[in-house]
Amino acid sequence: MKKNKEKKISQNLNSIYQAKDGKEYVITSAPELGLLRSLGIVKDKSIHKRMTYRLGGPVLIMVESSEIAIGKDIAEQILVRG
Amino acid sequence: MASCHEVKEDAKVYEKTDKILLMGNPNVGKSVFFSSMTGINVVSSNFAGTTVSYTEGKFKLGEKTYTLIDVPGTYSMDATSEVEQVAISFMKSNPLAVICVLDATNLERNIKLGLDLLKYDVPIVFALNLLDVAKRHGLEINASLLAQELGAPVIPTVAVNNEGVEELKEELKKVLTQQPQIGCSGCSGCPVACPAMKISDDDEDNWDRAKTITARVRRKTEGKLSFLDKLGNSMLKPWPGIPIAILIIILSLGIIVGGGKALRSVLLLPLVNNMIVPFFKMIIGAIVPEGILYNVLIGEYGIFVIGFEWIIALILPYVFLFYVVFSFLEDSGVLPRLSVLFDNIMRKMGIQGGSMITILMGYGCAVPAIIGSRTATTKKERLIISAVVCFAVPCISQTGALISLFAGYSPILLVLMLLLSLAVMIAVSSILGRVLKGEVDPMVIEVPNLLLPNGKSYRQKLMIRMKHFLVEAEGPMLLSIVIAALLKETGLLDNIAVYLEPIVSGWLGLPKEAVIALILGVVRREMAVAPLLAIEGLTALQAFVGGTVALLYLPCLSVFGILAKEFNAKVAVIIAVSTFVNALFVAGLINQVAHLIM
Repeated sequence: MKKNKEKKISQNLNSIYQAKDGKEYVITSAPELGLLRSLGIVKDKSIHKRMTYRLGGPVLIMVESSEIAIGKDIAEQILVRG
Repeated sequence: MASCHEVKEDAKVYEKTDKILLMGNPNVGKSVFFSSMTGINVVSSNFAGTTVSYTEGKFKLGEKTYTLIDVPGTYSMDATSEVEQVAISFMKSNPLAVICVLDATNLERNIKLGLDLLKYDVPIVFALNLLDVAKRHGLEINASLLAQELGAPVIPTVAVNNEGVEELKEELKKVLTQQPQIGCSGCSGCPVACPAMKISDDDEDNWDRAKTITARVRRKTEGKLSFLDKLGNSMLKPWPGIPIAILIIILSLGIIVGGGKALRSVLLLPLVNNMIVPFFKMIIGAIVPEGILYNVLIGEYGIFVIGFEWIIALILPYVFLFYVVFSFLEDSGVLPRLSVLFDNIMRKMGIQGGSMITILMGYGCAVPAIIGSRTATTKKERLIISAVVCFAVPCISQTGALISLFAGYSPILLVLMLLLSLAVMIAVSSILGRVLKGEVDPMVIEVPNLLLPNGKSYRQKLMIRMKHFLVEAEGPMLLSIVIAALLKETGLLDNIAVYLEPIVSGWLGLPKEAVIALILGVVRREMAVAPLLAIEGLTALQAFVGGTVALLYLPCLSVFGILAKEFNAKVAVIIAVSTFVNALFVAGLINQVAHLIM
């Protein structure tokens, strides 16, 4: 959690990297990246978190029916609410 | 220097007037449509001035023939990447029509792309593909309602099984014969829904609209995942994903190594030794008198002897089987899963999981791998990938030669060589990751569904690759064979060997004939090994040391050329010099240490 320096606005606001596996989330903020945008990973989008890989691995999420893996450093910047 | 897999640029492609574009997301099955609509005469080219390549082929529809272009997959038309810029240039180049393939499992994003495309005043037919997968995921889509919403025909398809392809062609025919609606004064008086007129320029609006349309046309049902879907999911979890991945790698190696050996000993070697070579010996013997020329042509090291033996029996079976396996892994969706599973390790090496696919490609040939490293988002990562491939990844021709070299010794040698290659890879990547300035972007990849590749598109891909190999690699291979024959049969080799003796015999502990390997290795990588095969009585240590030199030796001429082209001459020279020094240093060290111990 130490990397997540932004002040938490509320309790349930957190990054998708640390969010619990197997649950639905709504994105509250995502980095401005062309590829994330084209993949539909934008504010207010609902996503399903599958898992976080160990040892600094990526996060696996489902957007609609497609699975997208996002590296740790970006995943930590995608904030979600439960 | 022409290099293998380097593709030609076609500046006129934008000007062609009979173009039909095939567009859509990556992994949506475009190439399956492409191969089922075109014949065998397909060409891969590069867009002038860009690094993006595409495939084009002739396509017959009724009486007329069109040029079908498989535009590289894009997620959007935002011009945020080179691929997207190319896609935009194509849309603006007055194509006759566009086939836009939509991914039914990810409708919202795909409708957004569809809306982006509808902005260009080009007739579009939509193929709603992957419907079978969507159904298994519990998604039902009303295609006719979607057609109404988009104001363009939508054909439901399952391309891998060729479902809906004929209907798509019929619809395309209709669209192509329709008169363009000139004088469309506005939407109010228009009897048909014509959303092309109303598409907003604002990106947010189109996302919202895509969301609304999706909600209207899609219905949730009970899905039932197939075995492959479940396997695909399992392969993404560390357990059992990692054991499965290791199994796949071992199996792939088994097919390439075992299959290659079998093809070589059962079919190709007898063919070369008992038929082709005796045939040429007979012809040449009848024309050319015994002497130097005779020896250069058909002596022990003659052009017509090693030319056939090395190319047909040594290289070809492994190249062919490598692409058989690699293309299968690529089309079935296995490779992105490996990227996800091993991203954490790759990240520690200073790169990211997505680059694993590029490095694996380097086990085929370094040239497409270095070209493929363009997909890396930063220059630092490109440099690391290219350096790793040059330093530690043997190309398949070389691997084939190494396998043959070690065949007479313990299989442990091959395993040791593999470990050595991995160690050098990790060292190079980690060092460069720390030394080079700049960043490496984290991985963002979509994992496609696991599927059995469509036979026709798989064969087409395999054929394009083999054709490239045969056309592009033959020149340098023949060149090195001619050099080898001349050096050996004219006695020039003995003169050169005197100068290199201290390195070859002293430091590396190899017989002086190995000099030829060092010279030829500059031209092509497998040629750093092949001459060792001809030396009799090599000890296991000598074979291993020779193999190590070859494994780590400087990239071949084609790779040198592509490095200079893709980066600059400085990078090419630095990589060439440092691989050369590294190869001799490591191999010599192994030799010296082994002598100390033994």
